[in-house]
Amino acid sequence: MRLLVLVVLSVALMVVDARFTLLKPVRSQMSLVLMQSYWITDLPQRLWQGVASQFGSRTELVAENEKLKTENLLLQGRMQKLAALTEQNVRLRELLNSSALVNEKVEVAELIGMDPNPFTHRIIINKGERDGVVLGQPVLDARGLMGQVVELMPYTSRVLLLTDTTHSIPVQVNRNGLRAIASGTGNPERLELRHVADTADIKEGDLLVSSGLGQRFPAGYPVATVKEVIHDSGQPFAIVRAVPTAALNRSRYLLLVFSDTRTPEERANDAAQAQESLDAQGGGPVIPATVPKLVNPVAPAAPAVAPAAAPTPAPAATPAKPAVTAPARPASHPAAAKPPATQPAAAKPAAKPPVSAPTTPAGRE
Amino acid sequence: MGGVKASRNGWIVWLTFAIGLLLSVSPLPQFMEVLRPLWLALLLAFWALNLPQTVGMVTAFCLGLAEDVLYGTLLGQNALILTLITYLVLALQQRLRMFPMWQQSLVILVIFGLAQLVQLWLSALTGNRQPTLALVLPALVSALLWPWVSFGLRGLRRRYKIN
Repeated sequence: MRLLVLVVLSVALMVVDARFTLLKPVRSQMSLVLMQSYWITDLPQRLWQGVASQFGSRTELVAENEKLKTENLLLQGRMQKLAALTEQNVRLRELLNSSALVNEKVEVAELIGMDPNPFTHRIIINKGERDGVVLGQPVLDARGLMGQVVELMPYTSRVLLLTDTTHSIPVQVNRNGLRAIASGTGNPERLELRHVADTADIKEGDLLVSSGLGQRFPAGYPVATVKEVIHDSGQPFAIVRAVPTAALNRSRYLLLVFSDTRTPEERANDAAQAQESLDAQGGGPVIPATVPKLVNPVAPAAPAVAPAAAPTPAPAATPAKPAVTAPARPASHPAAAKPPATQPAAAKPAAKPPVSAPTTPAGRE
Repeated sequence: MGGVKASRNGWIVWLTFAIGLLLSVSPLPQFMEVLRPLWLALLLAFWALNLPQTVGMVTAFCLGLAEDVLYGTLLGQNALILTLITYLVLALQQRLRMFPMWQQSLVILVIFGLAQLVQLWLSALTGNRQPTLALVLPALVSALLWPWVSFGLRGLRRRYKIN
């Protein structure tokens, strides 16, 4: 009987799909054709946006342009400070001999569909396996973490949002580093912190950032702000509710985070090579983060080495440099391996950097 | 009505299924997501009722697989549901064709409700538990839509003489 055959077949398919990876290629082939339907259903809105931008009035555009310019200026101002802080952070961490993931690569993806099932919070984005997306990759929007990639298709992928009931993320309170786990509740505006002691120091308005402890999300991205903390003497734990900072159900453009998978040694070598090539080109204003690096291998030796390497007032020189170099080099230990490359450069910073940092934003305007 | 006779204008049936697939993933406002009708099941029920020699359980199975890929559920989950629905419709076919429209709607409500219960059971097995009562709402909406879908598709069928 046909029904029996088909039922057995579908049950078999489900079991195989749940347990093995055998059916993944079949699924990705089918998705090549079928995922177009998300694109098609998205078409009217796309067209509408196109038309709206075509016929948007000039004054509106001018106003928007003004607004964006102001925003850009603000952000650039903040960036300058951030660069300096990043560099300082790297150096301090080097002093502590701890490895830090300071900058990750990001790529912009666009939302093309929502999961039709109202009880799950998943979205579909227009980047897939062929674009280098990997399973479990974190996804951000402009304001915070959104979720992670759970299914890969050739040109699209499915992202599980933070607020899905099956999702949890390790976080910590930004104010004092208190660790907790934020679980989704199925409500797009609500996360819940599980198993927070009644006496824990957490209060309304605290910012929760990812702690990076799950090895899946990078540390330090904003996740949520605490909305209410309820102390109920009948409950063993405090009830803590938080609102995700990311606009989970409004963002159209998302950022995929590619974390740096190179080992510290590789990063160091890459950085050193980049430095050498720069030096070969005639130095320029680009300055390496060298002084503290020499210190790295043996901390106690630091005071002895650092002054020798950089006769100039090192503390003043180094913090200024980052505007240019910081993004290029999360690298930390290179100098230890390649002192010749870095040392000549180390002498330079005193001359240039204070000037170079302020000039960049001004030049761009 | 011979079984071997090639169906004329059969592509229209497939076109409706393609539109059904699109409708089943089309974006809806948040509050209506819960009420999204089971478009594919509705179309399958109609065509199985009217063209049982063309549209059967195998069609339902294939469409179900397509829906699984679209929804990202386990391959076979929706296939199983749609196959069950088609089987029930085919089993009740003789009676259903005699019924007035409101009675057909009632039967459709029961069939889809059963299917949604199986759906609930399957998603509980696979770890995505869902609130129980809300899951029957799509069946209700589909049953309310049945007369309109039915009239529309019947008009389409007359017009293009699909058989």
